[in-house]
This record gives sequence, C-alpha cells and structure tokens, in this order.
Amino acid sequence: MSTSGASREAVIEIRNLSKIYRDFWGRKKVRALNSLSLDVYKGEVFGLLGPNGSGKTTTLKLLLGLLFPTEGEISILGEPASNVSKNERIGYLPEESYLYRFLNAEETLDFYGRLFDMPASVRKERTEKLLDLVKISHARKRQLKEYSKGMTRRIGLAQALINDPDLVLLDEPTSGLDPLGNRDMKDLILDLKKQGKTILMCSHLLADVQDVCDRIAILYGGELKVLGRVEDLLKSQNQTQILSSQLTPAALAEVEAVLKKHDASFQVDHPTASLEELFLRTVQESKERPGHRLVTPDSKSQAG
Amino acid sequence: MDFDPTPFNFAAAGINWLLIVGVCLGLMTVVSLLVMAGSRGTRGLTMWTDEVGLMASDLVSLSPRRIFALSQLTFREAIRRRALLVFVVFGILFMFAGWFLSASTLAPEFQVKVYVTFVLRAISWLILPVVLLLSCWGLPEDIKQRSLHTVVTKPARRLEIVLGRMFGFAFVGTIVLVVMAVVGGFWIKRQLPAVAQEQLTCRKPVFGYLAFKDREGNDAAKGINVGDIWEFHSYIEGATKARAIWTFINLDASVLDSDGNLRLENRFQAFRSHKGDMKRALYYQYVLVNPQTGLRVPIPLKTVNEFRGRTDIIPRKLGKVAEASPAAADEAETAAAYDLIDDLVSKEAVVDPETKNVIYPAGTMLVEVLCIDPGQYLGMARPDLFIRTPDLSFWVGYVKAVLGIEMMLILVVVLSVTASTFVKGPVATLLTFCLVIIGQTAREFMAKIVNNEEAGGGVFESIYRLVKHMNPTTDLPEGTATTVMRFVDSALVNLMWLVYNIIPDFSFFTRSLSYLSNGFDVNVATAVYPGLAITLGYFIPCVLLGYFCLRTRELEAK
Amino acid sequence: MNRFNSQQRKFLYLGGILLLLIPIISLGMPADSKGEAAGVIARQRQEYDLGESDLGKIDPSSAAMNLVLLGLRGVAANVLWVQAEEQKNHKDWAAMRATTESIIRLQPHYVKVWEYNGWNLAYNVSVEWDAVSDRYFWVKEGGKFLQEGVNRNRNSSDLLWHTGRIYGPKIGLSDEARFFRRFFRADPNPIYEGNVDPEFNPTDEDNYLVAKEWFTRANDIEGQGNRQTIMDRSIFRSYPARSQLDYASALQKYGFNEEYDRRAANTKLTEEQQAAMQLEVRDKLREQTRTAWEQGFKDWTQSYGQEEYTVDYRGDILRIRMEMTEEAIKDLAKTPTDYRKIADAVMAYQNMTNYRYWRTRALCEAEPDTAEAHWLLFAAVEEYRKQNFEKAHEHATRVMALLEEIFKKYPELEIEEDMVEDGITAVIIWQNFYRFNGERPPTDFPLKRIYDERATQLPEYERKFNRRFLPY
Repeated sequence: MSTSGASREAVIEIRNLSKIYRDFWGRKKVRALNSLSLDVYKGEVFGLLGPNGSGKTTTLKLLLGLLFPTEGEISILGEPASNVSKNERIGYLPEESYLYRFLNAEETLDFYGRLFDMPASVRKERTEKLLDLVKISHARKRQLKEYSKGMTRRIGLAQALINDPDLVLLDEPTSGLDPLGNRDMKDLILDLKKQGKTILMCSHLLADVQDVCDRIAILYGGELKVLGRVEDLLKSQNQTQILSSQLTPAALAEVEAVLKKHDASFQVDHPTASLEELFLRTVQESKERPGHRLVTPDSKSQAG
Repeated sequence: MDFDPTPFNFAAAGINWLLIVGVCLGLMTVVSLLVMAGSRGTRGLTMWTDEVGLMASDLVSLSPRRIFALSQLTFREAIRRRALLVFVVFGILFMFAGWFLSASTLAPEFQVKVYVTFVLRAISWLILPVVLLLSCWGLPEDIKQRSLHTVVTKPARRLEIVLGRMFGFAFVGTIVLVVMAVVGGFWIKRQLPAVAQEQLTCRKPVFGYLAFKDREGNDAAKGINVGDIWEFHSYIEGATKARAIWTFINLDASVLDSDGNLRLENRFQAFRSHKGDMKRALYYQYVLVNPQTGLRVPIPLKTVNEFRGRTDIIPRKLGKVAEASPAAADEAETAAAYDLIDDLVSKEAVVDPETKNVIYPAGTMLVEVLCIDPGQYLGMARPDLFIRTPDLSFWVGYVKAVLGIEMMLILVVVLSVTASTFVKGPVATLLTFCLVIIGQTAREFMAKIVNNEEAGGGVFESIYRLVKHMNPTTDLPEGTATTVMRFVDSALVNLMWLVYNIIPDFSFFTRSLSYLSNGFDVNVATAVYPGLAITLGYFIPCVLLGYFCLRTRELEAK
Repeated sequence: MNRFNSQQRKFLYLGGILLLLIPIISLGMPADSKGEAAGVIARQRQEYDLGESDLGKIDPSSAAMNLVLLGLRGVAANVLWVQAEEQKNHKDWAAMRATTESIIRLQPHYVKVWEYNGWNLAYNVSVEWDAVSDRYFWVKEGGKFLQEGVNRNRNSSDLLWHTGRIYGPKIGLSDEARFFRRFFRADPNPIYEGNVDPEFNPTDEDNYLVAKEWFTRANDIEGQGNRQTIMDRSIFRSYPARSQLDYASALQKYGFNEEYDRRAANTKLTEEQQAAMQLEVRDKLREQTRTAWEQGFKDWTQSYGQEEYTVDYRGDILRIRMEMTEEAIKDLAKTPTDYRKIADAVMAYQNMTNYRYWRTRALCEAEPDTAEAHWLLFAAVEEYRKQNFEKAHEHATRVMALLEEIFKKYPELEIEEDMVEDGITAVIIWQNFYRFNGERPPTDFPLKRIYDERATQLPEYERKFNRRFLPY
C-alpha cells in the first residue's frame, strides 16, 4: 500500500493557513484555523478528522475558494484556490445535500455536466454511467426533494464525479448511509483510488476512515494535532501484537510460558478499534495541553 | 397631445455614459486599492493585481453553455416558486377593471386612451414587482441554501452566475409579459365599446419644426401665453399678422394617402377672449408655402375641434381662396391650378446668400397657420400639427409599447440581480424598489437640484432658510459660516449629480406607451432604441459590479 | 423575569391578552342583526352614518383597493390629487376624469372631495372646451359625479344642494343657457338619438324643475337635522321656490322657441301650418307660464314664506317668518320693543333674500294681463319678423297699454329689467311702424315716462331688439 516518499507529488499544499471569522464590524469572532500546514499527495486517500468545530470543514471550504484565507497560502492542483479553472479537475461532495431539490437526477447531472462545458453526447454518456455506478438509475426521473437521505448522498457523489475529477473532496461521505450503502461508498472510494485519483475526505466515522484512508490528520481547535499514515499511527513502538486464529488453550499456555521466560510483561486480550482510541486520546490530550503537537510519525518517516 | 417628439440623443447619452461609468470605475479602483494597501501593505497590492488578473481571465473564458445552463436553472426555479401565480392577480384585476373605467360616456378617442393606458400600466405594475421580488431573492436564497456551493465549486465563473440569473429571470418575465400582453390585447378588443373600436389605430405622423410670427409679423420663438400654467402650448392672435409656421422637410409623394391627398391633422386649442359666436368653433386657415419659389396657396377655412383634433384632407390638386379673410369661409375656391407636390415642395435648397448656410433643404414645404377670428387665439405646440401618412395597425404600436415594458423589465432584473449580489433579499428588494420609484417619479426634481434651478440653495442652506424664515431670494449674510455651508452644499450637489446620473430614467420606457394611448405610432428610433440603449447602458456596469461583488464575497460567511 | 417560572409567565401573558381583549371587544364588536349590543365603533358608525351599508351602494372596488394599498390610503389619495391637478394643467381631460374617479374611490365619504371635483368638472373643465356641446358634456359629467356622491352620502344636504345648482343656474343661467337648456331635453351626443341623456334627465323635464326637486331633497335632508354648511339657513331654504320662479322666467324667455322647435323638428310644414302651430304653442305657453308663476307665488309665499327661522338679529334670538303680517308680529311680540325688533329682523331678512321683490314679481306675472302682455309682445316680434308691421303695431300698442297698467299697479317692478325691456321693445316696434310709413310717431304714448328715463340706454335696447331677429 505504501508509495515511496520520493515519487510523491503534492496535489494540495497548505502553508500556514489561518482563518479568522469576523463579525459585521470587522471584529474578531472566531479563530477557526491556526497556521495549518499540510500536503496531500497524488493518488492517496487522505482523511481529515476532528471533533465538531475543529476546522475540518473550514479547511475544505478554503480549499474550494468558498472562503478566503486570513493568512497563508493554498495551492491546489498547482493553482491558487481563488482560480476557478482549477475546479475543472475537482469533484466536491458537500456535507449535506445542497443540490437543487426541484431538479430530477438526470437534470441534476446534466446541469452540472454543462457547468463543465461538456458537449451533450458526453454528458449523456457520463450521466448513464454515474447513475449506474451510484445505483439510482431507477429513480432518475424523480425530483430530488422526494429522495431519501441515502439516495441524496448517492446523487451527490454522482455529481461530484461528473467531470471524472483528479481530486475528489468528500465531506462526510458516509453520513446517513445504511451499512450496505456505507460498504458501497467505501468500495467506491477505494475504486477511485485504484484509478489513481486523489481523495480528501472529512469524517466523524472513524471506522470508515480507518478502512479507506492512507493518511490522516486530526485537527482540534483549528490546530493540527496528529498527522501520519494510519498504520504508523496505530503502531505502538514498544508494544507487539500477536494475532492468531484458532489458538488452542494449550498453545496459548505455551506462548505465555515463552513470554514469561523472557520476562516480558504481557496481557492477553482481543484487538480493539484503536483509531477510536487514538482519536479520543488526542482530543483528551489537546484539552489538557493546548498548542502542543502530539505525534508526527509521518514527518519522521519522511525524514527517514 | 402632451408629448414631445424630440428624438433621443444617442451620441450625448453615450458620452455621458462613458463619463459616469468611468467615474464609477475610477472610484472603485481607487477605493479597492486603498483598502487592500491599507489592510495588507505591499502584499495587498500584489493580491490586488492578481485578483484583477484573475477577473480579466474570467471575462474572456465565458462559456455560453454554462450561462445557458444557469439561465435554465433560474427559469425552472422561478416556475417552481409559483411565479406564475401573478396571472391569477392579473386575471382578477382584469375581471373587475370595468369598474374603474367608468368613462363610457367619454368621447371615443378618450376611451381608447383610458383603456390602453390602463392595460399597459396594469401589466407593467404587475410584472415589475414580480420580477423584482424574484430576482432580488433568487441569489441570496441560493447562497442561504448553499446550493450555490455546488455551482461555484464547478468551473462556473461567478460572472456566468450573474449573467445566468439575469437571463433566466428576464426570460421568466418575458414569458409572463407576453402572455399578459396577449390577454390584455384581447381584453382591449373585447371590452372597448364599439364606437371606440375604430379609434384603435396607430397614426404614423411626419412632424415638422415650429416657428412663430408675432402680431406685427416679426419672427418669434414662441407665441403668447394666455395664462396656462403649462407653457407647452403657445398661442397666436386672430386677425393679426401672428402665424405659426411649420417646416416639413423631406417631403415627396410618399406622404400622401392612398387617394393621393395630403392629410394634415391638428390638435389646435382655442382660447376666446370674448364669447363671440358660440355656435361656431374658431376659424383657422392653412397657407401652404413653397420656400423656394415663394408660392403661397391659402386653403379654405376650417374650424377648430378642440381637444379632439381634426384631420384636414388637402387634395393634391389645389385651388386657392383669399388669405386671412373671414370671407374665405363662404367664397368658392379658384379652379385647381396647383399641384401639392410639384408646386409647393421645394426642389432645390434655399441658401442664405451671405452666409451660404442652407435655410431650407430641398423637399421642404411650409405650412403657415393663422387664426381668423379677431380677439380669439389659437394654441399650439410642435406636435400639434403633422402630416398623417397612412395609419399602421394599432397592434404595431401595441407591440412597441410592450417592447418598452420589456426593456424596463430587463432593467429591473439587471438592477435586482446586481443588488442581490451584495445584500440579502429584503435589502435588495428595498434598494431596487427605491431605484425604480425614484427613477419614475423624482428624476425631474433631482435634475432641478443638480442644475441649480431649485431656488433656495442646497440642503443646509434650505434648512437655514426654513429655520430663519428667509425667502429664497433674500441674500444670506456673508461670512465663514455661509462659505462653509455653501461648500458643503455644493459637495452634496456633486454627489447628487452622480446619484442622479446613476438612477435610471424610466420615462423613456413608457414613451411608446404614451404615444400609443394617444393613437400614435412612434418610430423605432424613439420607441425602442432609447430603452434598449438605457438597458444596455446599465447592463454592462451592473454585470461587472455584480461579478465583482459576488467574487469578492465569502459565500459561506453568514 | 426570574421571579416567575415558565408556567407563571404563560399565565401572565394569557391574563394580559384577556385584558387587552376587553377594550378590543368593547370597541370593535359588530352589531347583531337587531343592531343592538354593538361595540362602541359600530354604534358610532351607526350614529354618524358612516357604515357603508347605510350609505346606499356598497363599493366593493373601494374595499379591494384598500387591500391593495395595504392601508396607505392617505398617501395614495395625495398622489392622485397631485396627479389630477397636473393632468388638469396639461389639459389631459380623459386622464383627469379617470383620476378623479380613483380619488373618490379612496375618499368616498369626504363631501368636500365630491363637491370640489364635481364643481371642477362642471365649471372649470367645461369652459376649457370650445364647442358648446363639449361644454355641455362636462357640465353633465359634473352633475352625474355629484349625484354619485349623493348616492354614497345620503345625509349630506350640501351635495344635494350642489347638484341642484348644476341643474339650475349652471344650465339655465350661463352664457350658453340657450344651448344648454335645449341640450338638456335633446342631448347633442348622437348615441341618444336626439332624446334626453337618461342618466342626467331621466324624466325629460325642464332643468329648473329638476333643480327644484334636488333643492327640495336638500331641504328635506336638512330638515332631518343634517346641517348644511353652505349659507345662511334662511337663504338655503329658499332654493326650491326660487327654482320654480326661475322656471317661470325661463319659460317666458326661451319657452316658445324651444317648444316650437321641438314640435316642428323633423317635420316639413307649410307657412300656414307654421303659423297655426305658432299660435297653438303661444296659447299653450301663455297658460303654462302663467301657471308656473302662480305656482311660484305659492311656493314663495306659502311654503318658503311660512317657514320659521330662529335668527340671531343684533344680539337677540328671535323667531321669524319671511311672510309675516303686522298681526302675526303683534301676536308674537309681548312688548312694543319686541314688536320693533321682530319687524326689523323680518325686514332685514326679507332684504337679504330679496323676498318682497320676488313676491311682487310672481304675483304680477301670475295675472292674466301680464301674461297677455308678454305673449302679445312675442306675437308683435313675430309679426315684425315677418314684416307684417301693421299687425305688429297693433300688438305693440296693446302691450304698451297693458304694461302701463301693470307698472301702475306694481311700481316696484320698474326696476325689473326683463319687464322694462319688454316695454321698450314694444315702444320700438310701435315707433318703427310710423317711421316705415314715413310718419313721425306720436309724441305721447303709454310707457313714455319709463322710455324717457332710459333715454341714454336706448342704443343698448336697440341692439338687443335687433338681436331678436338673428336665428336662435
């Protein structure tokens, strides 16, 4: 799964990005983002995590040019965020469905296709393909206001992919989906990755992130707390995990004996969802020691 | 007739437009530069140039397909928002309109006026609020619902969004207008009493230029004012040398009607300084004059048909009667000895022998009008005498009047969409509404202030005078206070100048309406082009302003 | 606010709402079917007669307009007034008429609005037009407009009176009276095919008789305690009787020609037939006019003259009638001072209303001799017109004798211009007969004193005399 650091080409470069929300009179209200620096590389699935109000969505909107940075630079696909032409190669799935509810599925995809200046034949072809892909061909003539939440996410994803983008930005892609839909969505993300696309996603659902992301960043209070490869982050340096199946009690006793012989302290247990642990720990520690960067195994591995 | 056929001066308007747009652009540039430099220093300046560069590149990468997609979206949205419910109001209004138009005993031509005016005004007053509300709320609602997010994160330029909105709303408005106009047309045809139906026409006038001679026969710019408050008409005295002289140019046989006669239609007014012979209206006489040969052919006397007008049919082959004599009323004409076109229209230009200036071009005929009855007066203004060439169908004029409303509608859409790019729905509505109301009612007053024609000085001076109970002609005490006051006032007047020039002049849009309701056609250059020019004149800067505002705006910020 | 918990607060609000409901109900409750148990506003509406349903026609369009304007009625009315004035200045009469209509839809219960606009149409707009038929049209517009106002403001005696003024003096006394009176019976608008405009003169009567009806209605309403605000009550009440008198004078002045033309219209008559018809019409009109005067005398002395007025004369509150004999005054007065006061007041009020003049005039005109004199003079003029000077002379001589007697009997009529003019006309015809025969007229003749007294005005009488022979 890993790619070597040298061949990594940054699709998104964020340098010292800060965002301060101001009120009508120009007075500071909230510091939503504080000096964030981040790279997302070509071909990876990058997860942006954090509790509510940590700055994930702000980051995404700054990337898309929906907000303007107070300070710092953004380069996305080699262009500044304020340049609209970058959008040619970007697909965006918003957090909730902000699509036009009075259009039906076909009209929606056709409309967005036209925004990419696609000729009619291409639009038709893409529309058919995407409706099949997200499995809503049967409801293509219904207005979106009649759609269920899951179907809305699907049509949302379809519109994000209308232009066959190189970079896909997904805001809470799996929220509101049933387990089956959840699986489909994750498969689709992995499928996109296979096609060589770069994916940046925000999510609360840690299991999903753990399943699909190559790297993650955890934000808290507008600051970057954790950044790195998922497996590296979850690997404890001074702990070893032995995974086995169908281990007989006799065999277990033998293993225990060996460990005792080497004087190692140990614990026999079943594996846990450790990203959740990491997340909770990060949040807890950030609260206790604000302004402290916790773990950056990523930068270490880069350096190494 | 109460309209002035003076054509719209496109050249002057264009120069004025350039001036105003230039001033506004200059102001915007300076202010934005100052803000950027002030808040971010030199980095601000580079950001400013980058931004300007990006805007310029947006301008050149417009895509018709995207604009069309956005227009179509706007249209669908408007339909979904039940914009078409306006038809219900329209229907109700027309069902009960008969009650308001209780003028069935009025003379037919006035009934036409009342009905036509009612229909066209009702249409414009129904349609303008609808498009105003739609276009003021469209974009802010789109931002609030965040559906715009999915659009701006596509390669759609924000300029295209502004354009798409404008086109979409204009299209909705146009459809509503067309339906209303068709219904209104049928309504006029059906509701107008039978006697008035034949008045439903569209005269095609050839206007001349009017000059006067006073009672001693000397040239005069105007006639006498007999005490009218409105100084549009001026009067000539009967049985004196006073004359009203119309100069008609570019005449040839094409102005004659199908029978080969010249139709001179007039709207002379009568003013009696004594009752005189009450049974008979005042006599007037035309004297046709060829300016080149000096041939004068007096036509038999006619009587004034005040406030109704009358059409005098002048045969091509003319005899003549005595000039300026009451006897001409009974006297028979001489044998037809003159040809209207061959003898009375000049074949060559008349040139001033000294200055070599052309006084009358070739193809000119003068029509002198005189009042026969001593002590009585005839009143007239330039549009009160014209050659009536064969009439057009009423519906030609109707279409032109509807086109005028269409231009107005587009202008309102343009203004509303622009306003909605920088303020929320309610504020945009209020702003546009004010612009429209001021543009329709207060421009004349503003013009007076801007041109310093309003007595009593500027704001502060007026307040001072009011408080001190000074009348406008009393001199102010000289001193620093007065100087300061005058300075501030003149600065405010300069601001007012800008505001005056920014607020659109809506009177041009209703021009063809007022012509039509009087039963006149008006050529395209006067009926449609000025409206088109004004709309276009606002469209360009408004689109740019809307684009600028939408682009420099954080769509997410609440 | 923390002193109360949420529930307590809700109860507090409820209490407040109930408290506010009390005045709302007591003010605004509508009347029940019997008109009882109504709220204050409903009761006052009834009291001051402001309810739409009490005022004749309910105007649904006005209510609709209110709704459209969302309560900006006053502003809208102001804008319309300004517009109407501008349209008047621009002589845009059609638009002005339409605007006027809108104004009264907004202000249907302002009597002054009706009064102003009605007057404006009948007088100001009317005179702007050159053609007499157009002028008449606008007089009608004004009259119809005022009637509309009467329908919506049934308790306004003012509006009734103003309507009467249009029918009476506006039609009968303006410079165009000759035309207007004829138009009143035969509208110039071709759509009426030479008949009356049924909206304006539904009963096809003389304008003064229609005016009399309106003035009578005005008096009735006034009598029910609806105050008029136009003039002193003693004059206001005289209008129905005055209209009758005006009617009689108008018959005398225009009646014959009008009647004759009406009968002769659309028929071809030989000269003899014409003469016969003239005679017939003359006989009819003589009696009709005399009866009109008789009725006028009755109206003047018995209706109007017997009305009682409470007047404030030089600080004393007195009750008087116009028609009061010495006995009547004595009956009323307790002391000689009282007698003096009442007699003075009656005299003063009689002077103010010209009471005695009209009394005498009507009395005199109702006499057969006076009628005879008028119609003989008329015959004299007709004969003169036909150049039957001998016959004319014969009639004129008789007229002079009759008038001499009348002036002897009613010397106060010597100031009555119409009567004097008739006399001098007779003298002129009488003199001309001699002149045409190359003789000198006798130096002594009846009416000589009156003739001599007016020696300086003779050219004016000659002019008026000659004008009689112009076609109407």
